[in-house]
Amino acid sequence: MNDNQTALTLADLSFAYPSQHAILRQLDLTIAPGERVGLIGPNGTGKTTLFLLICGVLKPTAGEIFLFGQPMRYGAFRPEIGLVFQNPDDQLFSPSVRDDVAFGPQNLGLSKAEVDTRVMESLRTTGTLDLAERPPHHLSGGEKRMVAIAGVLAMRPRFVIYDEPSSNLDIRARRRLIRFLQAATETLLIASHDLEFILEVCDRVLLLDGGRIVADGAPRDILGDPALMQAHGLERPHSLVPHEIPHHR
Amino acid sequence: MHIPDGVLPATMCIAGYAVTAAGTAYSLRQIGKKADPRESLPKASLFTAAFFVASWIHIPVPPTSVHLLLVGLMGAVLGYYAFPAILIGLFFQAVMFQHGGLTTLGVNTMMFGIPALAAYQIFRLHKAIAKNHFQPGVFGFFGFLAGFLGVLMVVLIAVAILLPSIPAYMDAAAERTAILAIALAHVPIMFIEGFLTAGVVTFLWRVKPEVLEEDVRPDDPTPQQSIPAVAEG
Amino acid sequence: MLDLSVDEYAHLNSPLHRWEIRYKIAGLLALIFAFSFVRDLRLLPAMLVVTLALYLLSKLPWRYLAHRLEYPGFFILMLAVILPLTTGATVLFQLGPIAIRAEGCLSVVLIVVRFGCILTVGLVCFGTAPFLDAVRALRALGLPALISDMILLAYRYLFEIGTDLMQMRTAMRLRGFRPRRPDTETLNTIGSLVGSLLVRTYERAERVYKAMRLRGYGHGHTIRNELRTRPGDVLAAIAAGLLAAAFIGAQFYLNR
Repeated sequence: MNDNQTALTLADLSFAYPSQHAILRQLDLTIAPGERVGLIGPNGTGKTTLFLLICGVLKPTAGEIFLFGQPMRYGAFRPEIGLVFQNPDDQLFSPSVRDDVAFGPQNLGLSKAEVDTRVMESLRTTGTLDLAERPPHHLSGGEKRMVAIAGVLAMRPRFVIYDEPSSNLDIRARRRLIRFLQAATETLLIASHDLEFILEVCDRVLLLDGGRIVADGAPRDILGDPALMQAHGLERPHSLVPHEIPHHR
Repeated sequence: MHIPDGVLPATMCIAGYAVTAAGTAYSLRQIGKKADPRESLPKASLFTAAFFVASWIHIPVPPTSVHLLLVGLMGAVLGYYAFPAILIGLFFQAVMFQHGGLTTLGVNTMMFGIPALAAYQIFRLHKAIAKNHFQPGVFGFFGFLAGFLGVLMVVLIAVAILLPSIPAYMDAAAERTAILAIALAHVPIMFIEGFLTAGVVTFLWRVKPEVLEEDVRPDDPTPQQSIPAVAEG
Repeated sequence: MLDLSVDEYAHLNSPLHRWEIRYKIAGLLALIFAFSFVRDLRLLPAMLVVTLALYLLSKLPWRYLAHRLEYPGFFILMLAVILPLTTGATVLFQLGPIAIRAEGCLSVVLIVVRFGCILTVGLVCFGTAPFLDAVRALRALGLPALISDMILLAYRYLFEIGTDLMQMRTAMRLRGFRPRRPDTETLNTIGSLVGSLLVRTYERAERVYKAMRLRGYGHGHTIRNELRTRPGDVLAAIAAGLLAAAFIGAQFYLNR
């Protein structure tokens, strides 16, 4: 497999915390540039751990990670990949929105003018320009989410990972996020319990359980397979449940 | 217990700032020697906020209630970071809430910061006595000492500052009695903070030992650490 | 509590709001220190005039000052009651065993005016610009980077951690925890509360650190915002410095 053609390659990736049982077991995965991959699975399967490994924040116990053809070294800073956390509070650590979005570009060593340009661009793309001077704790859940995304986009990543992006969003914010992601051009990897969200945004779905990828395919095929979903502690999303089966109250 | 502006003579305020500057420089140097400061910065900063918030907790001591000082606990959790953390906490209080004072920031920091650093060193001694193992009795006892002596030292420094600052005309005997009375009134608080600190450090050792400053942790792992943790989702 | 911040009126427009923050802090802190030197009662009127002038110039509302004098004023009030009853030999007024002494009264006047003036000028200093600008100014004035970084991060998460605590306390109260005495049960519960707060804070700090690493923390430098200084800013700071020197000089002169 020509690594230069993939956005992400995982080869035999394993991970366990010291003297604890394995979280990920010999994972093999390739994601092509431009793919929009959804990651589903019951709680505790190691989705967040996987993301931290891919981004170089955790060190694999075994196996290799390649990002756009280059091996991912533990501790390296690779701005081509961005990760949007489950809890935006943990990610918005600067005193104001503007400062926070500028954090990444500043660490890239860009000039002040270039940093300002990137900040403006990211705020505009995420529709958060009028929040620029606000402190993070004055923002609503949806606003925090979009600002966190802006902070990641300001580094112009080619691959963005989203960890439970629709959690704690009200309907309007969720819909805004879906439209935003549908228009995104980066390679996407999205972990979510919100299966309808995955249906609307992703073109490929991975099912992670017991530290292994147990299914990989088109969203409708995977999410619409009742036996598969149930076997791994999940259910089919409502839109894929035929109405002949009574399931409303 | 923070001393407000306007009460102390200027020379005392300046001396306070000098001591605090020295204490801060010393603490920063010790911090630089140990771990990678960039890695420990987020933890120290958030703990600064946590201890600031925790000082709002009060314990009922009839007929009134007292706010927690937690000087001993700060030493156990923050180590040398306790000094800058206290400086920053007092800065917040002075600027944001007008508790304590701007001219007395130096004096107040010294009053709480030196006991915190001393409590840190006192608590570390449990390792020497227990030969680096975790012995609940020793651990708890030294936690109590850190809390108790922490408050004691704060009171002693406060007395040392206030005694020479009282207006010259004041009746010396009455003044001494008053200050002694205030000091004695803090003895129950010393015991309360002692027991509280012992309780919290034991709680932390059992639940999340990494919260405690490295120097202060016994070498053996706690029972929890051999149980596999629930992996993140 | 955390939302009535000291910079709630930082958006106003006054000569003091426009004074560039580094020079403002340097100048006004010098003045505050000079005030703490004053021991001679003859200098008090001058102090009051300067303080009043600064506050009027700042266009900060009076209720802002009144509200912020409340809490610390309480302790000063206690001194105001105790000192006249205990300090000095010259008795002004006698009511049975209670004697109000002149020296005590004069001490109180000195302390109250010093306290009031220092606090007011302090509010003018920190109430006329956003709190975070003040922190950046202190960094520019020489505060070590580690300390200013700690201040910014601590300030950022103060609200969240405060909310954590409030939630835990509410949960405890809803399950019947209403402590009355510092007994074992109370101390154990409060100990668990403090311990839990610290554990949650630790875990939050780990996540924040990871988030910072992911966006390059440790690989670059923060670009400091260039502040635009006008000649007026420098002149005002020099004026404040001279005023401070005048007060200190006057005090030494009157005291010799």
